[in-house]
Amino acid sequence: MSLKPTIGIETHIELNTNTKMFCRCAVVDTDEPNISLCPTCIGLPGALPVPNKKAIQFITLLALSTGCEITSKGMFHRKNYFYPDLPKNYQISQFDLPVGLNGELEIVIDENKDYIQIERVHMEEDTGKSSHSGSGRIESATSTALDFNRSGVPLVEIVTKPVISSSKQAVAYIEELRQLSIDLNISEGRLEKGNLRFDANISVAPEDSTELGTKVEIKNMNSLRSLERAIDYEIQRQTKALEEGVEIVQETRHWDENKEITSTMRSKEGSADYRYFSDPDLPNMFLSEEFIKGVETLMPLLPKAQREELMTTGLSLSQSNILSKSEEWIKKLYVKIFDQTKDSVASYNWITGELQGQMRKANIEVLPEWFNEDYLSEIIELIKSDKISFTSAKIILTEILTTDTTPSKVAEQKNLFQENDSEKISEMISQIIKENKDIVERIKSGEDKLVGFLVGQLMKQSNGSVNPGMAKELLLKELED
Amino acid sequence: MDVSNLSIREINSLFTKKELKPSELYSKVFENAANSEAALHAHLTLFEEENIKKAAESDKRFSSGKSASLLDGIPIAIKDNINIKNYKTTCSSKMLSNYTSPYDATVIEKLKEQNTLFTGKTNLDEFAMGSSTENSAFGLTKNPWNTDYVPGGSSGGSAASVGARSSIAALGSDTGGSIRQPASFCGLVGFKPTYGTVSRFGLVAFASSLDQIGPITKTVDDSRIIFSSISGEDNRDATSVINNQLDIPSDNTATIGVIKELMEDGISDEAKNEVNKVVEILKSKGYKVKEISIPIIKLSISIYYLIAPAECSANLARFDGVRYGLRVDGKTSYEMMENTRAEGFGAEVKRRILLGTYALSAGYYDEYYGKALQARKEMIDEFAKTFKDVDYLISPTTPTQAFKSGEKTSNPLEMYMSDLCTIPANLAGLPAISIPTGLSKDKLPLGVQIMSKPLSDNPLLDFSEIIEKEVQFDGQPKGWL
Amino acid sequence: MSNEFNIKNIAKLASINLSKEEQDSLSNDLSIILEHVNALSDLKLHAQQQEIFIHPLEKELELQEDEVKKSLTHDEAISNAPESKDGKFVVPPSME
Ligand SMILES: [Zn+2]
Repeated sequence: MSLKPTIGIETHIELNTNTKMFCRCAVVDTDEPNISLCPTCIGLPGALPVPNKKAIQFITLLALSTGCEITSKGMFHRKNYFYPDLPKNYQISQFDLPVGLNGELEIVIDENKDYIQIERVHMEEDTGKSSHSGSGRIESATSTALDFNRSGVPLVEIVTKPVISSSKQAVAYIEELRQLSIDLNISEGRLEKGNLRFDANISVAPEDSTELGTKVEIKNMNSLRSLERAIDYEIQRQTKALEEGVEIVQETRHWDENKEITSTMRSKEGSADYRYFSDPDLPNMFLSEEFIKGVETLMPLLPKAQREELMTTGLSLSQSNILSKSEEWIKKLYVKIFDQTKDSVASYNWITGELQGQMRKANIEVLPEWFNEDYLSEIIELIKSDKISFTSAKIILTEILTTDTTPSKVAEQKNLFQENDSEKISEMISQIIKENKDIVERIKSGEDKLVGFLVGQLMKQSNGSVNPGMAKELLLKELED
Repeated sequence: MDVSNLSIREINSLFTKKELKPSELYSKVFENAANSEAALHAHLTLFEEENIKKAAESDKRFSSGKSASLLDGIPIAIKDNINIKNYKTTCSSKMLSNYTSPYDATVIEKLKEQNTLFTGKTNLDEFAMGSSTENSAFGLTKNPWNTDYVPGGSSGGSAASVGARSSIAALGSDTGGSIRQPASFCGLVGFKPTYGTVSRFGLVAFASSLDQIGPITKTVDDSRIIFSSISGEDNRDATSVINNQLDIPSDNTATIGVIKELMEDGISDEAKNEVNKVVEILKSKGYKVKEISIPIIKLSISIYYLIAPAECSANLARFDGVRYGLRVDGKTSYEMMENTRAEGFGAEVKRRILLGTYALSAGYYDEYYGKALQARKEMIDEFAKTFKDVDYLISPTTPTQAFKSGEKTSNPLEMYMSDLCTIPANLAGLPAISIPTGLSKDKLPLGVQIMSKPLSDNPLLDFSEIIEKEVQFDGQPKGWL
Repeated sequence: MSNEFNIKNIAKLASINLSKEEQDSLSNDLSIILEHVNALSDLKLHAQQQEIFIHPLEKELELQEDEVKKSLTHDEAISNAPESKDGKFVVPPSME
């Protein structure tokens, strides 16, 4: 029996508004508990919700950018369930009239494009945070402490149709969604802060079946690694169960980061009936054409269009994709360096490879102020015209990242300009051969790889200024004679 | 002359002429409370010290001619489901017996700006659910006209307070008649403004789409003064509306409709007689009066007892022992919440929460809550049609005079039926007023109710004042001054 | 309309721990009330669900500017807590 997995993902995106969804308390990023609260977001008797315009603009922007139909006559619903970190014991959310319906998101896997259908995009409010004390495990907690700073922070929930078939696709989808929300400037997109949190609905069914298998929900993941592993684990678990004829239970499971398994969440009895009904505190929400047009003016160049633009410079789809998911300054730098050098591959490699690599290693987060972006073009040109070696270029980059200087000065000072004069190189080779007679003998008796050693010696003595290709060529000639 | 019998305008005139001091009025009112509280139990708490201080400040303003407000120094009683900062807000529930509000309701802020005195917090049916003030966790309130009888409810404490002249006026809240019915039972004017004209921010919600704060007063003019002081759009209540009053006639060019369905079975002859009496007066003054029929009114109780409990089941979910109020311990949070709610709520509150929970639950929503919403919309449309033909609608306020304490406590449905005449105005958001017109053979007050179209509160008050003048009800409960 | 209901299940949804006596008496009350509200089932309705306005005056939702307003202090927010520690509200363990 050949089996196929089907996955749907619900993602919660925390919006980066100044204030909460239904009150004007500041959205804060702090460990100090319960400092940004009002009667509304801790559910005091008599408090009422008033919606945040920015949040509605943001969700409309997200819905438009994913090609959703906008529900111009919408409303808010109450989703009822009892949980200590939910102050009103209902969450204000949307039910049958979400802001956006039926969209699509383009994702990239390697050199291929794929499209993930979006079912809905709706607005809701976040809960407070629970921390369990006791032995550190939920099961044996002795008490739960509650911080409501997060309570009422605007959340967008974006739900895919069950169209995802692998963990790889799921990860690419989240990466795309994350980048989209950053480019739209609606979220910080920081996974480690829980700005994006995802639930995956996973089922497995025979390849030829038209019906989906029993669905299992894995709740509340916030890293791509967990998402990938949890999906893989769950597909494996369900596949094995089906093959062994064990029935799969429809349930909610939890991904255990440490054990790397999913396990049944202890579910509250009868909690599945949310008794949705329209919130009588919030009149019907009409999004006028004017409002939607206003939101459209905020639309940036989307990652999909960015990729298309980058590909016109000569980059591959996957390179364009990586760049489109890089920080803004990287994207800009690429465009500038490409403009100057007209060499997409060198520009791409130097920026995403060497520059970012060295910065990471040296713990440099932003380019130093003396660092003129043109330096990169200069370096690329120097390599292309054989004036410096690739090795020297790396040394130059290291130097200009840490010292206020220029590539040519560094090359000058460190004597890194390549020796391209064959006579001079030949002189040096004669010297090296003299000093390493034993090695030369061994090479002649067949130890070819020692040629590299001699080239190395040559580079060392010349402070790397010799053009290594030329050097090797001349050395081999000399040895043959 | 007893100053506590005077209207607000009369009192203000004496203050301004320096013939009476606010502190003198306050002493008199407080003395009345001291005389009547033991027998009536109108108040849950009486504020004294702070009022002596505030009255002295009012004295100064009047003696220096610096008072600009009609309500300066006027002692007003506040129903205990309206939050006053740093005072308890109990809603007559064990759940909130220890709850102190950290904020002011919008109406309280507005009255504070007018330098009003708050005599104290008045008793009510727990969370405003009831029609007799017998559902209070802190004991019953009695009718000042005859202590064997209920004062009505749920604003029974507010009505009894004004009836016994323990305050000059009072604020109540009206979800299905909770201002008008007790006003009628206690021989007072009770006014429920158009839905949304008075902010609900800080009023502990019972049924959000029906709740409205309004005054209980001795005269129509007093209600007018208070209404104009507490109304106005509030950016903390998304359902509040701009108080743009319609211009409809109140003189004898107006047409009056007598609602056929509220003059039939289930309405006592005494109650009908009051309506007929007023109709005769109006006819004699040249008003055009006609009988109109709004058949869907007969379904009011059914619609109301689905919508109100459904909303209340979510509104009262926040009372869970987590952040404030009563807590009854349990091994887990869930047990703690269940135990707290079991002990904190009285029988009527539980009844309505369970009814609403059921009406919203999976599989029943459509046949109960969904149907009730549609029927409500139909009623709104029917009223709109009716108001094309008539300007005001007249009916009894209550089917009977006040009933005896204990008479209806064993049969909830019979208790619900006493709201038949008042509920339609809440369902349709209409302004509605009860004005006292006469006494029953048991020497208990009877009243008539006038309704008009949304946002015609001011004309409604003008028209009611004409009836008030003609009827000349000068009844006053004996023995409390 | 169907009037069968499971009082225990409803009480669970409403998070109220009812005693046996309460279950019986409330069951009985609810049956009587539901019997009455069944009158609605005979009603021929014209209004469509999607035409229904939440606000009786058909007011539309107004959105508010995203500007911070100061509200409760930490102490005010937590002053009514039945139990608190280190600035947090404390409850018996909640587990998922
Ligand atoms: Zn807040």
